[in-house]
Parts: sequence; C-alpha cells; structure tokens
Amino acid sequence: MNFRIWAAAALCAFGLTAVPAPSQAQEAGGTLVYIVQPEPPSLASFLSTSGPIGLVAPKIYEGLFDYDNDLKIVPALAESYEVSADGKTVTFTLRQGVTWHDGAPFTSADVAFSVMEVLKQVHPRGPNSFREVTSIDTPDEHTAVFNLANPAPYMLRALSSYESPMVPKHLLEGTDLRNSDLATSPVGTGPYKFVEWKKGQYIRLDKNEAYWQDGMPYLDRLVGRFIPDASTRTAAMENGEVMYGAYGAIPNIDAVRLRDTDGFSVTTDGYSMINPMALIEFNTTKPPFDNPAVRKAVSLAIDREFLIENIWFGYGKPATSALSSNFAAVGLYKEGMPNYPKNADVAGAIALLDAAGIMPDANGVRATATLDLIPYGEDWRRAGEYMKQALAEIGIAIELRYEDVPTWLKRIYADYDFDFNVNYFYQLSDPVLGVHRHYGTDQIRQGTHFVNSSRYSNPELDALLAAGAQEADATKRAEIYGQVQEILAEDMPVANLFEMQFLTVYNDKLKEHATSAMGAYGSFDRAWVEQ
Amino acid sequence: MTFWKLFARNRGAVVGLGILVLIAVMAATASLFFPADPFSLAGKPMSPPGENGFLLGSDSLGRDVAAGIAHGAKTSLLIGLLATLVAVGIGIVMGALAGYYGGPIDNLLMRVTEMFQTIPSFIFAILLVAIMKPSIESIVIAIAVVSWPAVARLVRGEFLSLRNREFVQACHTLGMSDVRIMLGEILPNCLSPVIVIGSLMVATAILIESGLAFLGLGDPNIMSWGFQIGAGRTLLRSAWWVCTFPGIAILLTVLAINLVGEGINDALNPRLRERT
Repeated sequence: MNFRIWAAAALCAFGLTAVPAPSQAQEAGGTLVYIVQPEPPSLASFLSTSGPIGLVAPKIYEGLFDYDNDLKIVPALAESYEVSADGKTVTFTLRQGVTWHDGAPFTSADVAFSVMEVLKQVHPRGPNSFREVTSIDTPDEHTAVFNLANPAPYMLRALSSYESPMVPKHLLEGTDLRNSDLATSPVGTGPYKFVEWKKGQYIRLDKNEAYWQDGMPYLDRLVGRFIPDASTRTAAMENGEVMYGAYGAIPNIDAVRLRDTDGFSVTTDGYSMINPMALIEFNTTKPPFDNPAVRKAVSLAIDREFLIENIWFGYGKPATSALSSNFAAVGLYKEGMPNYPKNADVAGAIALLDAAGIMPDANGVRATATLDLIPYGEDWRRAGEYMKQALAEIGIAIELRYEDVPTWLKRIYADYDFDFNVNYFYQLSDPVLGVHRHYGTDQIRQGTHFVNSSRYSNPELDALLAAGAQEADATKRAEIYGQVQEILAEDMPVANLFEMQFLTVYNDKLKEHATSAMGAYGSFDRAWVEQ
Repeated sequence: MTFWKLFARNRGAVVGLGILVLIAVMAATASLFFPADPFSLAGKPMSPPGENGFLLGSDSLGRDVAAGIAHGAKTSLLIGLLATLVAVGIGIVMGALAGYYGGPIDNLLMRVTEMFQTIPSFIFAILLVAIMKPSIESIVIAIAVVSWPAVARLVRGEFLSLRNREFVQACHTLGMSDVRIMLGEILPNCLSPVIVIGSLMVATAILIESGLAFLGLGDPNIMSWGFQIGAGRTLLRSAWWVCTFPGIAILLTVLAINLVGEGINDALNPRLRERT
C-alpha cells in the first residue's frame, strides 16, 4: 500500500466510525470511583508520560483524535483531516464551539502552540511523534495545517489525548512549562473538569456541562483514589468501594479470582495502543554485556513461558522479536527470529558462551553481574529471583538490586551505572513512536527516561531506522523493519521477554468504559454506571 | 544454687531453650538437609504441603518453603545476634561514659540518646535501610542504630548507682585508671540486666529484620523468613502455606527467645532468687 492509498483508507475509516450505536440504554448521573495507582507526580500530561498521569489527565485534556478498539481513528478535537498527495502537508479541520474549562474558546492557535511549543519541546515522546513537523499554519481559527519535512504516517497514530494532549495557549504561553500551575490544576477541553486533588487520598473531577458532545459525559463525577497496598485495592474492589482498576492495580492472582466471581469482570481490552513489552536492557559498554554472545545467551537461558505462567498467571505472550507480534497487523513484525526461545535453551546458551571463549572458573561461574529491577511491584521481584536461578544454570552469577523509583531511574538513565536492567517499555502503535527510542544512536539521551540506556550504537541500524520512519510504501517499510529485527536478534542490546497483557478489573455495574483503544488512558466520556 | 538450677526453675524457660536449640540446629544443618540454594526452583510451583516432594509446599516460583525456612533460620539468628552485639556494644560505651563521668558528658550523651529515642524505631530502620541499600550489613547497622538507646539508658543507670559505692572509691584510692574501673570493676556488676535486655533484644531484632524483609527491604540475595512471608502475602488466599510456615517459625523463635530471656532474668536477678 502506498501512502496515498493508506491515507485514503484512513479517511474512509474515519467516516465509518462517527458515533457508534449504544448497545444498551445509558443511565446518566452517578459517580465512578476508580483506582489510580500509584499517586501521580503531577497532572502535566504534556510533560510526562508516567502511567498514573495517563489515568487522570485524558479525562481533562483531549487530543485531536481518539482511536477505537480496532485502532481506527475517531474524531475528537479535529473533525476531519486531509493529507496532501506528497504526504508533506496534513490539514486538520477543528471542531467548532469547543471551549476550555475556563470558558475561553479552543482554536487552531492552541493546536499550533501545543505541538510546536509544548509537545515538540518538553514531552518525552513528542520530539519523535512530531519530528517531521517544521511549522503549523493557522489560516483561520478552525484550520491547522501541519507542514512536514518528510511524510510521517505514524504521526496520525500519536494524536490521542494521552500521547499528545492539546493544552491551553492562553494559560501556558510565556510561562515556565516545567513549573506550570497547570501541572496541579489542569484546564482542558475534555468531558470532566478538575475540581480537587487531596494529596495521598484522591483526585476529584466533575462533569463538564459545556462539553461539545451533547449529553455527555453520562457520569456526574469521577474520583480517582490512591490506595498504596495491593490487597487493600482488591478488598476495595470486592466491597464495591471502587469499580475500576487498570494497569495491574489489582494483582493478577486476585484478578484471576475476581474473574470467576459474580459481579466482576476482567478484560485485556484497552491496551492495544500501548503495546507493552517486558524486556532486559543491557549495558553494552562494559563487561560482561559488551559481548553480544553473552547478551544472546541471557536471552536463550530465560524461560519466557515460565515467567508468564508462574508470575503473570498466564497473561502475556512470549516475545519473538524486537517488535511486538501486534505489529503483524501492519505487516512490520517478522516471524522466525532466532534467539527468542519460548522455553529456555540452556544448551544453546552454554554453546554460545563456550564459542565466545567465556569459560567457567572453578565454581562454574563464567561471569558476574548485578541485575536491576523495575521497582513497580512484587511481580518484577519474582521475575528477578527467577532470572537469578535461570542464569546461574549457564554460569552467570547475578546479584539482585532493588531501589526506589527515582534512584533506579537515575542509575539507569542518567548515571548509566548498571550491568543489566529488567524493565518494560510501551512499543505504542508504531515502531517510530515506541521502538526507535531503544536503539537509535540519537536516542542516547543522558538524563531522559526510557530511551537508549544500553548505549547501543550501530550506524547501519540508524540508517535503517531513519529510512523506516520516512518510508511511505508498506512493503518497503516491512522490508526495512525486517532487517532491523534481524540485526537486533543478533546484536541483542535489549532482550525482549514477553508481550505484557495488562488486566483491567471492573465491577459489572460499570458499562462502556473500554470504548477507546486507550482504555484506562481514555476519556471515560461514554462510561456509565447502572444504578 | 547454680545458674542452671535457678534457670530451670522456670519451666517455660527450659521449653524456650529447647525450641531455640532446635532452631539453632536447624540453621546449622540447613545445608546438609537442603544442599540446594533455597532460591532454586525445585519443582512445580504452588504445590500444597506434602505434594510433589515438598514437605511444606512450594511457592509461586516452585521454591521449597521448608528449605527457605531452614536457610532463613540462619539469616534470622545471624542478624539477631549481630545486631544485638553491635547495639549492646554501642549502648555500653555510651551508658558507661555518661553514668561514670556524669555532668556535661552525661548531659550531652543522654540528649543524643533521647534524640534517637524520639524517632519511631521501625520507621527509622526503614529509612536507614532505604538510604544504605538493602544488604546484611545495612540491616544489622539499622537494627543496631535503633536498638542501642535502651541499653545506654540501662547501663547509665547502673553506673550512676555503682560509681559511688565503697569498692569503686577504694579503686580510686588505689590509683586505678578510669577505664580499668569502668571495665574491670563496675561493668561486671551490671552485666546481669544487660544480658537480660540483650537476650530480649535478639527477639526484637529478628522481628525488625522480618518486618523489613516483608516490606521488600531485606537483602534480595539472602533467604529470610520475612522475605518468604512478603513474597507469599499476595498468595495468602490461594496458597496459604507459603507465608504460614515462615510465620510460625518467627513466632516460635521470638517466643522461645523471650522465654529464655525471662529465665535468665529469674536466674540472675537476686531479688527473685527466693521466688518459688
């Protein structure tokens, strides 16, 4: 498919998904109390992609688009768009009559400001999403024309409110973006207005009466509660205090139990735009992981199915390549890559180490290293304990290290003071948005979180990534990413472990909360509660 | 009457001692009965007690709970004893100096002691371990740092009451050095309460260590009971055995140490000697 056809197809899809018919009569009113875990550091979704911010901010801010569960574009602040024949101009027609929560009108100036001055400057992924945008023209209040240096088809997948929120120019212009008041009292155009943030307890949002979708939202109020202890969260769900918990707020073991309990349901929907991948980042600049053979041996020695079955209770899918198998839908995923076994290949790993001349000493130890673990909960600790055992079998003796989040982030992404690190990344809806940041030489950005901490640098791969970002032809693009996956399976600067499946646990009284591909990072505009 | 006879009058203390000896033997022979690393994935995960060759069941990764308890005993006793030794050491030095010299030195040292006493000890221990990065050393240091003030207070009190006794004055007249008087004359006379408080402190230290490990602040490379409970906590409803057995181990150990401590107290406390 070339770019023009691709764009046309997207336009068609656009028309098809205007307003889906409701499956059941909605009841207006009521309050939805849901779990926000952990408490967000701020509500500045234009500054940080931190998960808990995503649970709250997209209810307040909106993006140009939303996406439905089939990843089709749903109009939000932009009513329609048009891509020029050469792919270098994208014109958005904005919705009329939209106002910010403070009453000011939403215009094309806000769009230009949000993208050029905010997202491209201070957002973690914005510089990637909008890398080709050179300027934005605003011929009138409701038209925004994006001028691109090169075609950027992936950009249209990065316009959700979670990924690229539109922020009010009149409140942000000329202020210090990183220390804005908006971080703790956001003003958006979304279905809910920010009311109150009681630190350590909850965030309260109330219905935006002036919302542009008539009759919506159905709910009068949203309350995001912070409950630090996992078993307390489960108890709160069971006794009806909260009705919704996503992103593992309810531990898998309890989710599996609630799934079989009347009145509760569990779904893996609502994560398709996120595409989370559990992985190991290797420090490729120092022994033992400066040697690709050792990195591959680690990948071979880990039993991916064991991790999924015993730690994540069956929710997950073994990784088989640098790209998630979810990219098969767009033809970018390549099957049959070596070095990502489902079950541990101990003999293969040992053969690799032997061939590389890394021999065991008297105690059978070939190499020693410290494994850092993402401090996001018990599951990761269990995974670390498992890996310690699994790697001992191939003679790699490891020490485990747990630290608090800021120390860990600093160690991995600012000080580079680590050997290897278990983590998970969102691969998002296009490799340019979620995958390039692991591997590109230009993504060795000291101090920026969740980028190329391996400090892997391969000019051949850089060239392929640059070509892949701009290639409009789907077949050629698939070829490029096929080569990318081949190189990465051999060099293995990052060993993908498994495609994570996050669980959302909800009370059956809550309806239509998963209408967007963004799931819990969506707006909840159509959610309603059976009284 | 000999010490043992005095001690044995307290039946509970004898039972406690028996349990403690058993636990010590278990710790010492852990590597004989469970030669494999207690973290090793020994078999089918979540096996109930008695199944798949697991006496006390296995946890979510298939680690043997019984092996964990045996090896964890080593950690618990080691940390309990080490931390207590360090705490008693610091406490004796601080208390002896304060009690013996009195005046401004006493004032200074006791204000420092009070400063430590005003901070809730467990929270302080969490803070220290979090700052230092969890490891055996940091845990021992943290427990010692939060435990010594009680010893210091006690030793100071004893020194205050002993320093003006005739035998001490006699030592002064003989020209003995301060250090010699403190260590050779006064300290042996106030050792009994220190031994009692020390023995009870071992129990507290084990509890603090378990609490830290439960909260995920234990040394991740060393098996301990607190770690087992912390790791099994989320499984409580589906695999009760994972944290129940280590919990019983902690309960028995702490109980045994307390009983023994009381027995020592009975035996060493002259006021209780005639108690029947």
